[in-house]
Amino acid sequence: MTAALRWWGGPIVAFSLLALMRLVLPLAFVIEVLIFSIYTIGCSFLLGRVGFISFGQPAYLAIGAYGTGFYLYYFGANPLIGLAVGVAAGAVAAGIVGPLFVRLRSDYFALVNLALAVIVFYLMQKVLADITKGDNGLWFLTNIASTPLIDIARPEGFFFFALLAGLAVWALYKYIDGSVFGACCLAVKANDDKLRFLGYSSFSIRLLAFVIANTTTALAGAMYAVYLGFVSPEITSPARAADPVVVTILGGTGSLYGPIVGTLAYTGMKDAISKLVGNWELFIGFLLVFIMLAGEKGIWGTLQPLMQNALTRARARWRRDR
Amino acid sequence: MSVPDRLLEASGLNVAYGEARVLFDVALTVSEREIVTCVGRNGAGKSTLLKCIAGFVKPTSGTVALNGASLLGLPAHAVARRGVKYIPQDKKVFSDLTVRENLELGAYATRDYRWDRVLGYFPKLGTLMQRKAGHLSGGERQMLMIGRAILGNPVLLLIDEPTEGLAPSIVAQLKEVFKDLSRTTALVIVEQNLPLVCAISDRIYALREGRIVTALEDRASITPQMCEQYV
Repeated sequence: MTAALRWWGGPIVAFSLLALMRLVLPLAFVIEVLIFSIYTIGCSFLLGRVGFISFGQPAYLAIGAYGTGFYLYYFGANPLIGLAVGVAAGAVAAGIVGPLFVRLRSDYFALVNLALAVIVFYLMQKVLADITKGDNGLWFLTNIASTPLIDIARPEGFFFFALLAGLAVWALYKYIDGSVFGACCLAVKANDDKLRFLGYSSFSIRLLAFVIANTTTALAGAMYAVYLGFVSPEITSPARAADPVVVTILGGTGSLYGPIVGTLAYTGMKDAISKLVGNWELFIGFLLVFIMLAGEKGIWGTLQPLMQNALTRARARWRRDR
Repeated sequence: MSVPDRLLEASGLNVAYGEARVLFDVALTVSEREIVTCVGRNGAGKSTLLKCIAGFVKPTSGTVALNGASLLGLPAHAVARRGVKYIPQDKKVFSDLTVRENLELGAYATRDYRWDRVLGYFPKLGTLMQRKAGHLSGGERQMLMIGRAILGNPVLLLIDEPTEGLAPSIVAQLKEVFKDLSRTTALVIVEQNLPLVCAISDRIYALREGRIVTALEDRASITPQMCEQYV
């Protein structure tokens, strides 16, 4: 019981806080934070656990979004099936390119993924314009049917769905972190030769990690599609390729809370600064440079030890007073 | 006394790193439950020989067979799964993982979860289970690497310079562990510590400039003085 409480305690508090944010912040902002957290957690896993930096995450985000979009525009109205199609599309795409990409060194891996994002962008914008409707995008908001229990066709229902999906994804990565597979991923990052001494195929471990991470990214894409009822090539714009990497580093690489904290900070900064100044991207750029120079462990990586120390001191004081 | 069965047979091994040839027609045999030691100066090709058997370095020609089945062309992890475990010289464990997680990695790969066997050889590891492997001393790291490798009952351990830089008390402990292990497992050890080599070896191969120059097979007659000329 205590172990289960310890395992679930942190995420339940974190996601309860996100749910409470709904009371003081606009619904659209909180949903954006939830979806972007899911988008970033795969990138954080690849970077922090496996040692792969990927500038191609928009490609997998777009594949998930267009998988869902195609289903809801051309074939059906059930958003849950649409989400499943998007996630499956992401898993299949990662399974096809993964065997080629995971053989590469981290720097080449980053670039080849960026190239994939560019390819997907032009495929959706130009080559497949007949079915993707090019820059106009696919509009299917009015096609989406209601769902039982939680109606994800409505923003309030979608918010609860996103909250549960975020918690489920977080729990999956927490489970992986504590598993032998999670240890293998860290070992691949440290020295994959040494892992082979023990009888593991480092290629298989990298491939599985790659597919898991990018399937998660595709889930975020599918969620964007259902929430917005619209998909356009803008979602895979190479100009946004660095976003999940920046958020990962901003939050704290390798930590499970990092993507949530990083997304909150990044989305919050964008939201606040864009309301105050015109060229807000410039200010965001300078602010990010400052934050990363100030604490290379990221926000959560810097805050977490401080909070841990404060908690330990408070416990000691409480025991002494008793 | 029965003659132990032939376990590993390597012959005509030639290895080159680019233009530089490192091994020249090396032939080596290891029988079951035998301790074979390779001695030689730095650069003689001892570590390359172990890496070649373990599948990390591809020979330009030659054969390596385990129980008659060729190991050539197999990736390193497939060689390890056939029970040939390589323990490198650098004592680099997975420093971000705890001792327990390091052992779990060894256990999971082989589906052998009998850690008590490892703790039987190295009781000290039992007290260090939650410590990050990066915080262990050199001797403790060596214990962890050997402990991790012996999970899954390997048939052959390839150990590269296991006592390098270790305190005499740890070396003495490792000597007893190697003798114990050889009751069930064959060992090929690259080592410069000649008293240890002479105390544990059933056979010694001396390498010089990539060639085996002599094989000392009469265990009773092997002395550190005999080996000294090769190191």
